[in-house]
Amino acid sequence: MIDAINTSLFTPIGDDGLIGILLILNGLKVTLMVTFFAMILGAILGITTTMMKMSSKWYLRWPADLYVGVIRGTPVVVQLVILYFIVLSSLDVDKVTAAIIAFGLNSGAYISEIIRAGIEAVDKGQTEAARSLGLSPGMTMKEVIMPQAVKKILPALGNEFIVLLKETAVIGFIGGVDLMRAGEIIRSRTFEDSVPLFTCAIIYLLLTYSFTFMLSKLEKRLKQSD
Amino acid sequence: MIKITNLHKSFGDNQVLKGISQHIARGEVVSVIGPSGSGKSTFLRCINLLEQPTEGDIVIDGQSITAKGACIDKLRQKVGMVFQNFNLFPHKTVMQNITLAPVKLGLMNQVEADRQAVELLAQVGLQDKANAYPASLSGGQKQRVAIARALAMQPELMLFDEPTSALDPEMVGDVLDVMKSLALAGMTMVIVTHEMGFARDVSDRVIFMDGGYVVEDSSPQALFSAPKEARTQAFLSKVLR
Repeated sequence: MIDAINTSLFTPIGDDGLIGILLILNGLKVTLMVTFFAMILGAILGITTTMMKMSSKWYLRWPADLYVGVIRGTPVVVQLVILYFIVLSSLDVDKVTAAIIAFGLNSGAYISEIIRAGIEAVDKGQTEAARSLGLSPGMTMKEVIMPQAVKKILPALGNEFIVLLKETAVIGFIGGVDLMRAGEIIRSRTFEDSVPLFTCAIIYLLLTYSFTFMLSKLEKRLKQSD
Repeated sequence: MIKITNLHKSFGDNQVLKGISQHIARGEVVSVIGPSGSGKSTFLRCINLLEQPTEGDIVIDGQSITAKGACIDKLRQKVGMVFQNFNLFPHKTVMQNITLAPVKLGLMNQVEADRQAVELLAQVGLQDKANAYPASLSGGQKQRVAIARALAMQPELMLFDEPTSALDPEMVGDVLDVMKSLALAGMTMVIVTHEMGFARDVSDRVIFMDGGYVVEDSSPQALFSAPKEARTQAFLSKVLR
């Protein structure tokens, strides 16, 4: 057991002479970076898509519906591979950037659904009351609907972050070295299975657990003001 | 003040209003009664375009609100609305509920709006609730805040959509008292209600609706003590025991 840990994590392996734990940490950095920036891109796309979907103009609604439909209807790993090897193949885009774009596009579709659900969960009477006072649709959204919708959106958004973090484990499909791929590299170089794989699993678990913990704190605070 | 001509409203195939014409004078208090499904709430909601009429014309103060390009937001500033379910903004205090619209619409600054809100709260008997959130209020208190909120826009006309139907019986009186004093102060009011006693005592005129039509339209004394139409008689015999 000690031997296995030593070989997998603390002994120089492979041509680059890196020790396993460094590979893991580099991979973790990629995983976090992709998750973080994809989430930001996803949020921007999500907000835009929601506004397009709620528009009265068909030429805004239609592309938004298509985008969400296609993204939700295909596996993220397929989207990632198509984006990197086909869509971006002629451009000189590095793997991490490609992954950020792919996961951002993917997340944007889900985030737009989260925002839409949050807005729709606000009682219709709120809109009617605001409009009956003479507030414009924009003011109604800003002053009355969004402040209430945010409370429903934030927890779901946190959940989406966790899902996204775990889904980035397929970055290896385009040759990017994230946390999961780092574990796989160690496995193939040392022929040790348990230590690298469980190390990866534990790190994912710690990340999602601590994030879930922060999220539940946030939810409690949001509930307090009800 | 309001002239409604041949108002129709359908939801899909369901014809809810089948041609209603009404003239409501300034300062008049009109109660609308009738069985559920008779279209009385829809009629009320058409007056401030919460429902878009399928056909017909509504003119308020000489301005057609059903004409294309009519400024709906401006119209709604003059027409206050009180809902059955209060619809207070839960994330804002009582004070903020009342001052939001006048301040955001640039009718007054925050100081003026606050001063007016304090007066309005006194008028509805809730001075001590200025900084409370709606969730901490009883139904009757919520509805009185909702009335104050509508009054903050200094409307020329107030619409009430079954304002006491969601209230516990012991709360009804407080809300009706506020409405009564409003009527006495000369406010033009259209009230959809099941409170027959209130309709009889406070209204200048009572409209009985059934099946999307106005069946009977007369003074409260005439309508309640000597209804002419058979349907009115049948309805009143059920609700007045």
